This record gives sequence, C-alpha cells and structure tokens, in this order.
Amino acid sequence: MSVPVLTAPRGIVLQPGARNARLRQRKLLAATGWAWCAGSLVLLGGAMLWILGMVVMRGIGALTPAVFTEVTQGTGGGLLNAIEGTAVISAGTVILAVPFGIAAGVYVSEYRWTQWARIIRFLSDVLVGVPSIVLGYFGYITMVEWLGWHFSVAAASITLAVLCLPYICRTTEMALREVPAELREAGFALGAGPARVTFSLIVRSGLPGMVTGVLLALAISVGETAPLLYTAGWSSYLWNGHLVRSPIGYLTYAIWAFINEPFASANALAYAAALLTTAFVLLISLASRLILLRRSD
Amino acid sequence: MQVRRTCRWSKLALLGAVALGFAAAGGASAAESGRLLETGSSLLYPLFNIWVPVYTKAHSGVQITTQSTGSGTGISESVSGLAQIGASDAYLSNALEKQHPEMLNIPLAISSQMVNYNLPGLNGEHLKLSGPVLAGIYQGKITKWNDPAIAKLNPGVKLPANTIVPVHRTDGSGDTFIFTQYLTDTTPDWAKSTAYGTTISWPSVSGGLGAEGNQGMVNSVNQTPYSIAYIGISFKGAIDQDKLGEAMLENHAGKFVLPTAATVQAAANAMVAKTPKDERISLIFAPGADSYPIINYEYAIIKSKQADTQSAQDLKTFLDWALKGSGGNAPSFMQQVSFVPLPASVRKLSAEQVAKIGG
Amino acid sequence: MKFRALMAMLGGSVPASMIAVLVFLGIYAWPAIDYNGVSFLGGMHWNLGNLYADPITVAGVDILPGASYGIFFLIVGTLLSTLIALLVAVPVGVGAAIFLAEAVPPRPRMWLSFLVELLAAIPSVVFGLWGYAVVVPLMAHHVFPAMADALGWIPGFGEPTGSGFGLLTAGLVLSLMIVPLITATLRDAIDSQPAAVREASSALGATRFETVWRVLLPGLRSVLIGSCVLATGRALGETMAVLMVSGNALNTLPQTIYAPVSTMAAFIASQLDSALQDPTGLAVRSLAEVALVLCIISIIVNAVARLILAGVDSRHRRA
Repeated sequence: MSVPVLTAPRGIVLQPGARNARLRQRKLLAATGWAWCAGSLVLLGGAMLWILGMVVMRGIGALTPAVFTEVTQGTGGGLLNAIEGTAVISAGTVILAVPFGIAAGVYVSEYRWTQWARIIRFLSDVLVGVPSIVLGYFGYITMVEWLGWHFSVAAASITLAVLCLPYICRTTEMALREVPAELREAGFALGAGPARVTFSLIVRSGLPGMVTGVLLALAISVGETAPLLYTAGWSSYLWNGHLVRSPIGYLTYAIWAFINEPFASANALAYAAALLTTAFVLLISLASRLILLRRSD
Repeated sequence: MQVRRTCRWSKLALLGAVALGFAAAGGASAAESGRLLETGSSLLYPLFNIWVPVYTKAHSGVQITTQSTGSGTGISESVSGLAQIGASDAYLSNALEKQHPEMLNIPLAISSQMVNYNLPGLNGEHLKLSGPVLAGIYQGKITKWNDPAIAKLNPGVKLPANTIVPVHRTDGSGDTFIFTQYLTDTTPDWAKSTAYGTTISWPSVSGGLGAEGNQGMVNSVNQTPYSIAYIGISFKGAIDQDKLGEAMLENHAGKFVLPTAATVQAAANAMVAKTPKDERISLIFAPGADSYPIINYEYAIIKSKQADTQSAQDLKTFLDWALKGSGGNAPSFMQQVSFVPLPASVRKLSAEQVAKIGG
Repeated sequence: MKFRALMAMLGGSVPASMIAVLVFLGIYAWPAIDYNGVSFLGGMHWNLGNLYADPITVAGVDILPGASYGIFFLIVGTLLSTLIALLVAVPVGVGAAIFLAEAVPPRPRMWLSFLVELLAAIPSVVFGLWGYAVVVPLMAHHVFPAMADALGWIPGFGEPTGSGFGLLTAGLVLSLMIVPLITATLRDAIDSQPAAVREASSALGATRFETVWRVLLPGLRSVLIGSCVLATGRALGETMAVLMVSGNALNTLPQTIYAPVSTMAAFIASQLDSALQDPTGLAVRSLAEVALVLCIISIIVNAVARLILAGVDSRHRRA
C-alpha cells in the first residue's frame, strides 16, 4: 500500500447558496483541527520542558568537572565509571541489535506476503510488551547464572539488544513500507539484485525513519534500570575490559540508587546522572540528524 | 555508491575503535587487584559508602563495589557467589539456613527505626504511640487521629479528627521486617493474622499508600497531611529538614522513648547476653526502662566457603577492619548514619564468625 | 548466501528471542502454574506467606504458611492504566505529528521534533521522579478536586480524590512516555508522502487540514496502528515510572479513577527482592507466572490489533 486512494473531501459539490455556509463550516473544522494539533504540540513541548527544567535545575549544580573525571566514591565523587559503562553497554547493544533488527524489518517489509514475515512481525510486537524487569531476570537466570558469566557487559548488552530488537524491526519495516513500489520496480528493471535494490535504493530512501527507530530504541535502552540491575550489576570502578565475569557501572543505577540515599551529595549526583543520560541520547540524536542532513545534499 | 558504502563502514570502524579504546583504558587502569562486591540492604548501603573510600585508601590492593538492591537480593547473590557480601537487615530464616548451612550471619552495626507522621500543627510535639495502636492503624481498625486509643496515650494533646493515612513500603524491605516484628511482638492479633517479613500482605486500609524506598516514604509523608510511616533512622536529617513529626514508642517496660543513641544503646546492651553464637536474633522490643523498641543488627550475609583464597583473605581483612572500634565501628562513622556501634562482646562473636571464612 | 535467506535468518532472531523468553517463563513458572491453577487469574489474594516460618506441604507442594497467589487486581490495573495512556497519547501524538509535519517550516521543524524525541530520551526513572515530585502533588491538590467537582456525576470520577498516587496519574505519566513512539514515526511517515498527492488534493479544493486528515492520514493507517501497537507494548511493560506514581495497591480494585492500582510489570519489580527470600522458590516462580500472563495479554492485544488492521485494509481496498 504505497499510494493512498484519492477520495475527494465530502461536501465539495454544493448547491449554490449553501456554498458559503458549507465553506465556513469546513474552515471552522479545519481551524479546530489545527488548534488541536497546535495544542498537542504545545502540551508535549511544555511537558518536555517541565521535566527537563526539573532535571536541569536539580542536576546542574552537581555537574562539576569532577563528575567527568572521578569515579563514584562513597557518598559522592564523580560519574566517570557510570558514563563509561553506559557508553560501553550502549555500543554493545547497538552492535548486536541493529544488524538483526534491521534485517528483520527488511524481511518483513520486502517479503511481507510470506508466512515467516507475518510470524516475525507478530512476535516482534509481542516482545515489545515484555517488561524490562522480566528480560532482566531472564538474562540473570540464563546468562549470569546458568552460563556462569556473572555480572558482565555481555549479559547486559544481549539483554538490552533483545529489548531493542522489536522497536528497530517495527520502525524499519514502517519506514521501508512507505517507499513507493516504483522505486523497487525501477531498481529491478535496471537489473539490480534484491540486495542492491534494498540497500542502495530502498534503505537510502527510508533512512530517516530507520535512524529514528534506532535512536528511539537506543534511548529506551539507555534509560533502563531494572534489567541492568540483574545483568550488569554495578561497579564503582572503571571497566577492566572483560566481556564476562566483570560487573560494570551505568548511569541509570546512579539515578535510582543515589536518589534514595540520605545524603544531599548523593541526591545531587543522581540528578546530574539524569541530566547526563538525557544529554547522552540527545547528542547521539543530534549527531545522526546532522550526518543525515549532510548526506541528503 | 562505493564512496557512501565506505563512509558507512568507516563509521562502524570508528565506533569499534572507540569501544576498544575504552576497553584498553579500563584494562590498563584496573590491574589484577582483588575485587569485592557488596550488595543488598538499602539501610546498610550508606554506611558501606562511608567505609569504602576510607578503607580502600589505606588498602589500595582491593576494590570494593557497593550496591543497593534490597536484603533479599543481597542474600540470594551471596548464596550464589555473585557477591561476596550480602547486606541484609534480617538474618536468614530457619528454612533458608537449613538449605544453606554454609552461610554466616555477621552483624556489623546496630540500626534503628523511627515512626514519623505529618500532623499540621503537631509536628513539633512527639506523639506517644504503642505497638497495638500502630497495629490498629495499619489494620484499618483505628481510622481517625482522635481515636480514643491514641488520645489515651496522649492526654492533653488536641488531636485532629482527620482520617489517618498509613504508608507502607512496597519494595522488599528490612524496614518492613523490623516494623512488623515490633507489631508482631506487641500485638497478638497482628501476630496471628499478618506476622512479619520483608514483604507482607498488608491489610487493605482505605486510603492507605505504598511507597518505594525510604526516600519514597519521606516524600509520601511530606506530601500527604495526616499520614504516618515507618522510616529508617538514617533519614532523620531529611525528616528534620521537612519538619515532620517523630513519635515516641512504647517499649517493653511501658515507657515511651525516642530513638536516640542512648536508648538504642540501652536496648542493645540488654540483648547482648541473649545473642547466640550464630548471632541470629531479633532485637525488637528489648527489655529495659530506657530501651528503644525498634532496633536491629545490620547483617553481612557471607558464604563461609569463598570462591578462592584471595577473595577470602580480602574479605576477612575488610570485615576485621569493619568490626574494630578504631576501624569501621568507630563512632565517627556510625554517627553519620545515626547507627550505633556493636557492643564489645557482640564484636567478639562477629569476629569469631569472620574467622570461619575460608577460600 | 541468497539475500532473502540471509535476511530471513537474521530476522529470525526476533521470533527466536520471544520464543526463548516464553519457553523460559513457561518452564520456570511451571511448578507455580501447576499449584496455583485458575484462581491465579480470578483471585485477588496475593500473599507471599510467612517468610520466617517453616514451609508446610499442601497438595504435595512445599509452600510457606499463608502463601497464596491471585492476581486479578494486577490484570485490571495493567489494562486500565494502558487504556488511559492510549486514550491520551493517541490524540495528542497524532495531533503533534500532523502539526510538525505540515504546519512547521523546515528549520524549526528539526528542533521541535527534537523536543518530542527528547521525551523518549528521558530515562523512565526520571519520569517516575518527576511524577512523584511534581505531578502527584499537583493532581492531589488542584486537578483531581476540580475534576471531581466538574465530572463527579460520572461513575468513577467522583470523590474521594485520594493522594494523587493512582490510576489516572500513572496513565498520564505513561502517556507521556509512549507519545514519542507515535509522534516520531507518524511525522516521518507524513513527511515521506509524495508532494503530488498533496498538490492533487489542494487542486480539488480541500483545505490544508482536510488534505492531511482525509487524504494523507487514511493512507497511513498501517503506520498509525503499527506505532500504536509499539506504544501499547511499551505501556504494558513499563516498570519504574509506574512503580513510583501508581500507589501500588495490593489485593484491591480501584473504586475511582484516582485510586491506587498496581500493574504487573511494576509488581514484579517490587516483589522480586522479597520473593527471593522464599526458600521454597514458589514465590519467584509465581512472579514468572505473572510475567507469562503479561506476555499472553500482549499476544491477545496484538492479535486483536492484527484483526482490526486486516478489517481496515480490506475495507480500504474495496473503496
């Protein structure tokens, strides 16, 4: 379904005389519609600024240079280990989730008439509904205990990748579906094979939607706490490079645990961590958008 | 086309290089030092956070990570060997101890609990409350602040006619454990119907609230007039800052006391003689005229057979330091979290248990 | 390897993960499923039992005295909070997407889109913090009393307005969390519609809004339903934020829209630590059973959405 069916808006064919009244009514409806749309955006923007404002107000005070150079130390210190940990886990998650997720999305979009595509799509949608704590416990029992990996980057990345997979699959599929059939037909007509058609033509056309999807998935996974509690554990020190049997820090733990401490220095650090987590995803989002803009020239 | 593809691959390569860079940096800084993981009770967490920087500065060969996850998680991870120290506000139950006889319950400090409330105008006074009254409140039998049962304990205080909002913990919590032990020990009706635990099936009270963590309890009480909650002593600073009320609780001797260092110490001293060798004992409702009724040992649940000799040695050295009156059990550390150091004879019992740790 | 086969294999990671999770939950929860029976779904009597008493044997199974597991209140709480979240998020999300795609010039559009995507970047824990620090007092002291005054005649909207921790608050916070899923994807989809279609519609005399509402959007039904499915999934599975603002009811159903509720995901998170102390292991397995029920609910919701979409598609093709 790539070309919407054109239906003329009802009421276009009018009796003369009734025309003005009908036109007024349509204009009123349109104005109401735009008001609703504008209001929605204002509501969202307002809520966003409110939340960001609270986080910035309470977190900016604790954002000293020490936050970026020291590790968490007792009741305060810095967040270097948490920042590094989030970066490492996110990198691992993206490396694992993106190839598999995009492949799934490509298959569901390009071969959507097949039974396998229907199965992938259905189970992907179900996977979105699995709570993160359940995935975390699943990772805990299977990887941390049965496989003996203990708290590790591997367990954390795999668990978060499973969390991200359905989002990337769905958004990739939706982005690719919007690409008109003519593009595919032209590619095949020129003699290109399915790989070339998909990646050189369709993906390039649907790239903004796919990037949005990956960023959304990354944002959701970076903001998770519960699954990481049971797979990455926590470490007050920098990562020692081992993929297994080595716990690692992450920013959301700092938010969750430090906000519950009776020390003001810890609470301030929690808000600083919240600010950093948001900034982390924002930066990636910004960078990818800018790269996309440059490429589209 | 070719240029674009190279662009994409080079970006991936860059990402990989950055990741490896982090790994290398991390690997370079953390040499083969001993690593201990402490996880569990959120009550003990602040104390460990004060101990660790001081300890690791003097003993640079060991890295200790502290984590706040809850007593249940602390016990389970210590049993499975994922963590070396499982911090818990409660000793292992008989059933768990039978399942895992190699686990040691080693008290490290003594903690206590406040009962706080938010009564506009009355927060400066210390209301007198007893175990049966609190049980009645949390069962929904006592619904108004000016109920005769409360008025009887507080003659002359003008209690408002508003509905009480009891707040309880929703997460598994050592605070719930010791509070419900107090209710169980003082109120036979509660003991029969609800009993105690880190999570219980709270009787449903219209308007009652659940909160996450001690901080959540403080926030709930602060935002909800006419509410009452049980909160760990480490949060006294937050309570005082928000100008909330602190109750005087009825102890075994029938007197009403606040949780001060003196009253907690009195209760601890009264229970010292009763503490068995495996140190699994409840300190709730201790005898004595000055004793505060809600105090408990803060335990480190440790596996006596550690994974290797290095971990066992690091663990023993740390625990020995933590138990010393000049080390972790010094008043200077304890006061920061409003805990009380262990009495000398209990410290000796703990040290004997520490000696059983092997690798 | 053939392209299609490669994509099929890599794409198989998605169903493989889901099946792995279902199989794990099924095997892990089996002792609990066997013991709890049907009253698990219909009963409202969740009790971990006396964690410090010795286990007793009932029907051949070791359990703690007083332990029983019935989660009807969780099912109700989860479905109601997700419903409210969707009722708020879909209109707001679609409206914002339309405005961003159509009414905002390109330069500010990028920055405004950022603002919306930023909502997705906020950790769920921070939503929870903002929820109980800011939203809950606001609701309790101003919004809910006003609502009860104005709408009190509708059953479920009247007094008592409670403490601010409850179903409506949780639904509102959830809706904020799932809106970016709808807005971001829909905005991209509207953007990618060819200009020719827009021009044709304008040439026929449609107002700009009518172009969007009657021409562009109907063609994007599948994108809309797809993003709603993602949003529903996210709402069903959200843990941290709900934990902090929902009031965490135990064994009770909400009498009003302001009353506390518990959702399955948040309940699992808050009970897990205590469940680990149950020496019989039945408590953790019952929590796994809760997770399994949630997965089944997700399957049902998706199946229903699939049927609706199929109906919509066939009707559309006929027109």
